[in-house]
Amino acid sequence: MASVHKIIVIVGFISLFHSAFSAAQHRSYLRISSQEFTTLPLDIIIQAVSSLFAVMWGVLNVSGKLREIPAAAELNTVKWETQRNLPSFYIFNHRGRALADDFVPTPSKGELENLE
Amino acid sequence: MSSTKAKDQKPEPVVYSEAALRNNAVVVEYCRTSMAALSGSTAGILGLTGLNGFAFYVFAVVSLWAMFLIKAGPNWHKYYVSRQSVLTNGFFGALFTYVLFWTFIYGMVHVY
Repeated sequence: MASVHKIIVIVGFISLFHSAFSAAQHRSYLRISSQEFTTLPLDIIIQAVSSLFAVMWGVLNVSGKLREIPAAAELNTVKWETQRNLPSFYIFNHRGRALADDFVPTPSKGELENLE
Repeated sequence: MSSTKAKDQKPEPVVYSEAALRNNAVVVEYCRTSMAALSGSTAGILGLTGLNGFAFYVFAVVSLWAMFLIKAGPNWHKYYVSRQSVLTNGFFGALFTYVLFWTFIYGMVHVY
């Protein structure tokens, strides 16, 4: 979704630059044909204003999400599992492991000494 | 005694999340600055002079405000404390950015 708005911003910028070049060319045309400048042609005006709106809308959506300001809004989404998660009480080794069928006891210190 | 009781029956204060408020203010400020630069460039391209340019700035500010309200949807209360402050905050600060880009692009397109 964000990439769509990025494309809108880029296309709008290109369109804005194009209308700027069109306006500059119109000015130089008027200068060559020695006419007086009153106003730009309508198509350049429409292109400039609509690309302005496009870029504004794109920037508005690219700039980031608005967060909900009531303090309870984010606390309400915290789950019970998150609250209960206490890293200090994690257990990695449990002696109940010895009851499993495929349990291989680690060699004790005495056995290791007998090997040599 | 009864008067103090009437004072106590104010509407319950709403607690706002400070981080969320700041985040939303940053988003609004970012869009506002971009809008000032872009609308200034557009005003320069269109060759507006004098009060027309300032009228165009007001037009751009109001349309950005409308876009913010469209983005927030019907329950804007969840995102902004007040709608008016979204419209008026930093109005003159962005106006300077606007005038900078306006005069620069006007000079680039129409003078040189």
